[in-house]
Amino acid sequence: MMPIWTKSGEKHAVTLLKVQDCHVLRYLSKEEAGGKTAKLLVGGKNVSPFSKPESAHEIFKEAGVPPKQKVTTFNVTDDAIIKPGTPLYAAHFRPGQFVDVTAKTIGKGFQGVMKRWGFKGQPASHGQTKTHRRPGAISTNQASKIYRGKRMPGKMGNIYRTSFGLKVWRINTKHDIIYVNGSVPGHTNCLVKVRDSKLPTYKDCNKNPPFPTFFADGDEELPEDLFDEEIFQFTDPSVTFA
Amino acid sequence: CRVSSDGKPPKFQPPPKPVIIDRKTQKEERRFLSPEFIPPRGRTDPLKYYIERKDMIQRRKVFNIPEFYVGHVLAVTTADPYASDKSNRFVGICIQRGGKGLGATFVLRNVIEDQGVEICYELYSPRIRAIEVLKLEKRLDENLMYLRDALPEYSTFDVNMKRVPRKDDEEIPVNKVQVRMKPKPWSKRWERPKYNIKGIKFELPEHKMKAAQKWSQPWLEFDMLREYDTSKIEEKIRKELSEELEK
Repeated sequence: MMPIWTKSGEKHAVTLLKVQDCHVLRYLSKEEAGGKTAKLLVGGKNVSPFSKPESAHEIFKEAGVPPKQKVTTFNVTDDAIIKPGTPLYAAHFRPGQFVDVTAKTIGKGFQGVMKRWGFKGQPASHGQTKTHRRPGAISTNQASKIYRGKRMPGKMGNIYRTSFGLKVWRINTKHDIIYVNGSVPGHTNCLVKVRDSKLPTYKDCNKNPPFPTFFADGDEELPEDLFDEEIFQFTDPSVTFA
Repeated sequence: CRVSSDGKPPKFQPPPKPVIIDRKTQKEERRFLSPEFIPPRGRTDPLKYYIERKDMIQRRKVFNIPEFYVGHVLAVTTADPYASDKSNRFVGICIQRGGKGLGATFVLRNVIEDQGVEICYELYSPRIRAIEVLKLEKRLDENLMYLRDALPEYSTFDVNMKRVPRKDDEEIPVNKVQVRMKPKPWSKRWERPKYNIKGIKFELPEHKMKAAQKWSQPWLEFDMLREYDTSKIEEKIRKELSEELEK
């Protein structure tokens, strides 16, 4: 994570996400997938074929791509279908866009009720016998049962969570890095799924993104760094207020 | 044995004269590397530090960040939207340099009209217009937070102080002043060995100083897992910096 300054001198914290060997693996039409839209399977980081079972190698051989560590699905409309085997780059996103980032949160193991659910526990002194971090009462008398979903100790973390509506500040096309506002779930160097935001406020926010995706062998030559309009670029002189 | 073309014995070649490198008088070139360039130990990808360094070098090309250590007296002018001149000048002694990469900070302390003021500035913030080093002197410690509990005379610096001219461009003088403290309680127990402070004149009784040594951890200096040898990393970064800044 890094700080980033705007032209008015405000500081924002930014997470760097690297797009590492992403390829489209398979296209599933609406009927095959069984959903409301067509699906595209996309694979992430390259990994050695020995770490995947033989049955999983089929998809990668079909697409002609080395085996990937993670395979995710994206729901796509019919005009955004991409041929399996095309590489995906960070330039697929543009600065100023809004993005949802999904990842597995940091696993904390088996945790008690105070850390997992934020319960207040009991006082440290004044006569408490062996009860300082316990949940206390778990149900009422009349219920005669514990309701489903009662918050109790258990394994915490290591589940998929999404941060919605994160702004993309900057894109580095040379190293395929996306600078995303704020924090993102997951530990350092974990695999993350980045998707166009589905929040209603940002529905019309994408101003001419590369559609269906950015093709590297195409005609357009992008500069090494793409900045949002409001970012203070370090090539400019210091900020002054008129 | 060389055979000469004429048949005469070859001309006597005297052996090469030995070159004496006088290592004692040859001083090491003082190369200062700002501490925020050295990446911390961790599991982050070195690519992240490389990209951050590129940004830091970019900023340094446009704006001059002078070399300074803890104990120097600096004057910083920032752009302030709420001031009448839209700019704000603060003079103070640098008591701490923290943070790595673009978020590197330094704290300046001064006592203005009997009120101690500390301001934490970010080195790479675009709102900073100028950083001038007024007085160059290192102190015995790298963290002068104990000045908060010292007598205010040690933290007062004239706001309109002029730049102290530097005679040599070689060594930075070390000020070995032993600071006198206010009566206890202090914000931190500075007499304890964990802070390892050499710049305070402790006027505490002997038994208190001895009791403070109870918290010493003499095994820490031999702990091999805490060793972080930065010499090779520093060399690489210095080379990179010098190449980029010359462009």
